Amino acid sequence: MKPSLLGSALMFSLVAIPVSADINISGFATIAGGRVLSGSGVAEFGLEPTFLANYPLVGVYEEEWSFKPESRIGLQLSADLADGLSMTGQIVARGADDFDASFEWVYLSYRLNDTWTIQAGKKRLPLYYYSDFFDVGYAYLWLRPPADNYTWQIFNYTGVNALFNTQLGSWDVSGNLYTGREDDRDNKLLSDFFFGASTREIWKDIIGGVVSFNRDWLDVRLTYMTYVNERFINEDGVDVQQTWDGNTERRGKFAGISFNIDYNNIVFLSELNRLDLDGSKFDTYMVSLGYRVDSFTPYVSYADFDSDGEVHNTTSLGFRYDFHSSAAFKLQYDKVEDNGYDGLMVAGDSDSVTFGIDLVF
Amino acid sequence: MKTLFVVSLLLLPVSVNAAIAVVVHPSNQTSLTQDDLVRLYTGKLSAFPDGNSAVPVNLADSVALRADFDQKALGRSSSQIKAYWSKLVFTGKGTPPKEVASDNEVLTLVANNPNLIGYVSAAAVSDKVKVLLTLE
Repeated sequence: MKPSLLGSALMFSLVAIPVSADINISGFATIAGGRVLSGSGVAEFGLEPTFLANYPLVGVYEEEWSFKPESRIGLQLSADLADGLSMTGQIVARGADDFDASFEWVYLSYRLNDTWTIQAGKKRLPLYYYSDFFDVGYAYLWLRPPADNYTWQIFNYTGVNALFNTQLGSWDVSGNLYTGREDDRDNKLLSDFFFGASTREIWKDIIGGVVSFNRDWLDVRLTYMTYVNERFINEDGVDVQQTWDGNTERRGKFAGISFNIDYNNIVFLSELNRLDLDGSKFDTYMVSLGYRVDSFTPYVSYADFDSDGEVHNTTSLGFRYDFHSSAAFKLQYDKVEDNGYDGLMVAGDSDSVTFGIDLVF
Repeated sequence: MKTLFVVSLLLLPVSVNAAIAVVVHPSNQTSLTQDDLVRLYTGKLSAFPDGNSAVPVNLADSVALRADFDQKALGRSSSQIKAYWSKLVFTGKGTPPKEVASDNEVLTLVANNPNLIGYVSAAAVSDKVKVLLTLE
């Protein structure tokens, strides 16, 4: 997170044309390992005991130790072109993708004034509280934001957004208005985990907004997004468009609220969200409580997902230990209860343990 | 002057828990509350209360006074501050203050730029800067 002289020197030597850009290089990493201690699996799908720790990336732990599902490294390059203009790219390599590195974020940013910044490009969809910094483990308390809440198959989009930052009395108010679309040709969660066939998932006409109110120890965040979903599933080499009640499109409306408190040594985190997908309701919530003792923060957490058919929850117990100025060690136990019915079970019940180190640089 | 720099440099490692002076250019006529200071150092404010643009300068992690400042001025541990900034940096919402390696660098920078604000241990303050706040 420090401006790197070496980095700018490197860029100067690599780029033939003279650029006066100030280049910043920063990064983050998580190295985590874990295993399922016991689990039911899902006999109906022939699934062995499994802990689905990361839905969108299909980060899956089984009964043997594995360090791949959630380990990742990200490198951010940011070129400050002066007068409020900057360009940022973030490359992320994940164990869940065999460490194939790709640009997760590529955007241009223009600061209009002290209040507004306009951005355009490829970004993370800022749906839930932790969505847009989901990869940056160092920035949050647990090993991962509660998996039962962060279940959506689309997590990036390409479009434009406007960030704002202002003051209302003693409240700091910040937010983000965004619009765009995502066309994911081989969606990982749907293709690899749910349908077992290459699935093209389209979220179009995305319009959303986030507003956060912040004062001393209190942080309240409201989020809303609407989009139109289209889906094609490959059957014998042919992409077949899916229909819902005879329609090729369905509209999703997502709304959520989050309350966070960081008072003295008490940390309280919560989220409550609902997705309405053409009338079907998908409800998620989570509550976490931690208590900071110097650099050691033990916590408990409960997260829940409830819809017609897909029903699951996770109870977690763990701690974060800030053993270094740029690194934290975490250990977490997760107990998942899968109460899905009508064929909508996810990965069955499981008890798992995970540990890891988060870094920023 | 050089002697003074060397002396304050030598004093630096032992000056933990000493008073911290928040300093600006002598020509800066603004006043500052601790709330304003917190906002400036957490990227929520980019101007002094008098409207002039304000650029905070931080000390690096390796300087003992930094942890002191995070605790006394911002009310958070350095780890918490770093977690806060990592959330903003990697989502394109903010950039942390530039960091320098010593009190002396802060004094030199602030003495030469009316838009900068920095902090040093109170014992290191020179007449080339103006003290806006002192944090005990």
